[in-house]
Amino acid sequence: MARHKQIQTEEQEDPEMNISSMIDCCFLLLIYFLVATSLVSEKKLDISIPASTAGASSKKPPLEPARIILRADGSVMWGGDLPVAEAYNEAAEPGTSEYRSQRELEQLVEQLKNFKSTADSMDAEPIVMLTGAPTAPHQRIVDIMAALATADIHSVGISTADPEG
Amino acid sequence: MGKKNARANDEVKGDVNMSPMIDCCFLLLIFFVVNATAITVAKDPSVKMPSAVSCSELKDANGCIVVNVYADTDKMGSKALEKFSKSYPAGTLWGVTDANGNSQGYNSSQTQDLTDFIKKQKELMESRGVKPEMVRLYLRGDMAAPWERSSSAIRCAAAAGVTNIVFGTLPSK
Repeated sequence: MARHKQIQTEEQEDPEMNISSMIDCCFLLLIYFLVATSLVSEKKLDISIPASTAGASSKKPPLEPARIILRADGSVMWGGDLPVAEAYNEAAEPGTSEYRSQRELEQLVEQLKNFKSTADSMDAEPIVMLTGAPTAPHQRIVDIMAALATADIHSVGISTADPEG
Repeated sequence: MGKKNARANDEVKGDVNMSPMIDCCFLLLIFFVVNATAITVAKDPSVKMPSAVSCSELKDANGCIVVNVYADTDKMGSKALEKFSKSYPAGTLWGVTDANGNSQGYNSSQTQDLTDFIKKQKELMESRGVKPEMVRLYLRGDMAAPWERSSSAIRCAAAAGVTNIVFGTLPSK
């Protein structure tokens, strides 16, 4: 029986596997993933809001939280009265210097860096309270968040009261 | 011309060596498979994402509860508006997609429903083994949306016990 089988295989010509269907399949998958993968992936800005203080110790933090106020027109105030950013211009085109300066908020970053170094010297955590006007655009909040991230500050309290009324 | 043809006919039938092409193809395939799995946050094209100068890559989308915050319909593009009106009733401020891929919209009077949804998603994720600190609110706010809508969504998340917020942005040009 075994001998008979061996003879039969020897008689066959050199067998070749037909791989064309596999290549077809492979190409199909390749094209699918090529199309499905988006090249511009969304980024993120991580923040955490303070949890409820009920039951926690009533000891005050050694450093007062800094206050940032965002007005309805998109202008930003530091500490309540120092303007650090002009009103927001929605029409600014990406790539222009106006658009860049609106995104970067240099004066705010400078203030935040000073605040951060003060906090570091006191060995305290820098906490920022952000108050935004209800009608202020979301983009402006993201700009402020980006400024906080640039200054390496990650604790933000968000107040929902209207700073103008 | 004729001579060339004759010469071609004289040649022995040649086989193209396919193996380098297949190697290359597999390499590309694996690259795209690995890349594609990283992006699992559902994206709604009706939301025009804000841009940020300082942002980082979302390494793990596991545990993200995605809430879309929409702008007023007059600020949307025609394509975005078409998609928005097909998916949600008028007056929708927040849009979410559940685990089965069904979209659900909430208006300003449904903040309690949004809180319940976030709470349910949080419990679902935790039952699947996601660590509580890894359950995050992924806020996809439209750049033109008023801040009160985003802050209401954050308030709802806080009421549902989710205190980690991720702001969805695009890198600044």
